[in-house]
Amino acid sequence: MTQSTETVPVEPDSVEDEALAQIVDAMWMSYFGHVEPLLAAFEPHDIEGAVLCASVGISGARPGLVSVVVEKAGAVPLAAALLQEDGALTDEDVYDSLGEIANIVGGNVKALVPDAGALGLPGIAAAPPLPSSAARQAARLDANWQGHWLTFVVWLAAPAQAMHHDFHHTSTDTGTED
Amino acid sequence: MKALVVDDSRVMRQIVIRTLRQAGYDWVDVVQAENGKEGFDAVKSEQPDLVLSDWNMPEATGIEMLHNLRASGQDVPFGFVTSEGSEEMREKAAAAGALFLIAKPFTPEAFAEALKPVLG
Repeated sequence: MTQSTETVPVEPDSVEDEALAQIVDAMWMSYFGHVEPLLAAFEPHDIEGAVLCASVGISGARPGLVSVVVEKAGAVPLAAALLQEDGALTDEDVYDSLGEIANIVGGNVKALVPDAGALGLPGIAAAPPLPSSAARQAARLDANWQGHWLTFVVWLAAPAQAMHHDFHHTSTDTGTED
Repeated sequence: MKALVVDDSRVMRQIVIRTLRQAGYDWVDVVQAENGKEGFDAVKSEQPDLVLSDWNMPEATGIEMLHNLRASGQDVPFGFVTSEGSEEMREKAAAAGALFLIAKPFTPEAFAEALKPVLG
């Protein structure tokens, strides 16, 4: 056995696809149990066309970003299901709903990240986030609900690179100009 | 009996209120605030019997609101409803004087268990 020359111990990722899937499943059961189930895809599915993306940042030893990307056409029915309101929803309601989904998933992901700092407030954008080169995709879940695709992604800085890392966070407003 | 729900998300305030009803507390009057600063003011003006607050909010966080309430002599029963349910967060909440922390995602059963000692 060769001896490692690493000065910073590299731990295996504590956030993996299975953990993310369990977090999303628990959220879905709690808040969307009255509508159709979320169907996880067996293969990655890149969403084509217009999307809305909600993200929350995680600070700490391994900064990260947790995002949910939704087909724009699916965002309104998703918000209506979460709110359980039949009336017309405002754009703010839709952004708020997506932000809460990201916040719930992000808060639970943060609990799995060693030495995590603070959870940020949700930001909404019209495009997926652009994590820095130091970030790596730790977990991903592609799923379909009522014919609409959703992608949940967790980006985390690699342990050995964490001290030199900085994320490009999404806009904190309605984000279309981001 | 009156509960103050504090969250910067209108959607989450609605979900919290709905879950409160589903947990059997449909007789509780509910007032709302959008952040820790408004929540602090609402405790003074509304005199609620319970505060249910998010943790991460603009203006003032839930834990800042709780610290400010206790520092000003307000001993209103206070519980967090937050997406962060780690042991570290629960310890911080308890140390600041919170009675409980309900982690999102939550169920009506979790609400009933946490609220029974306060609301009966």
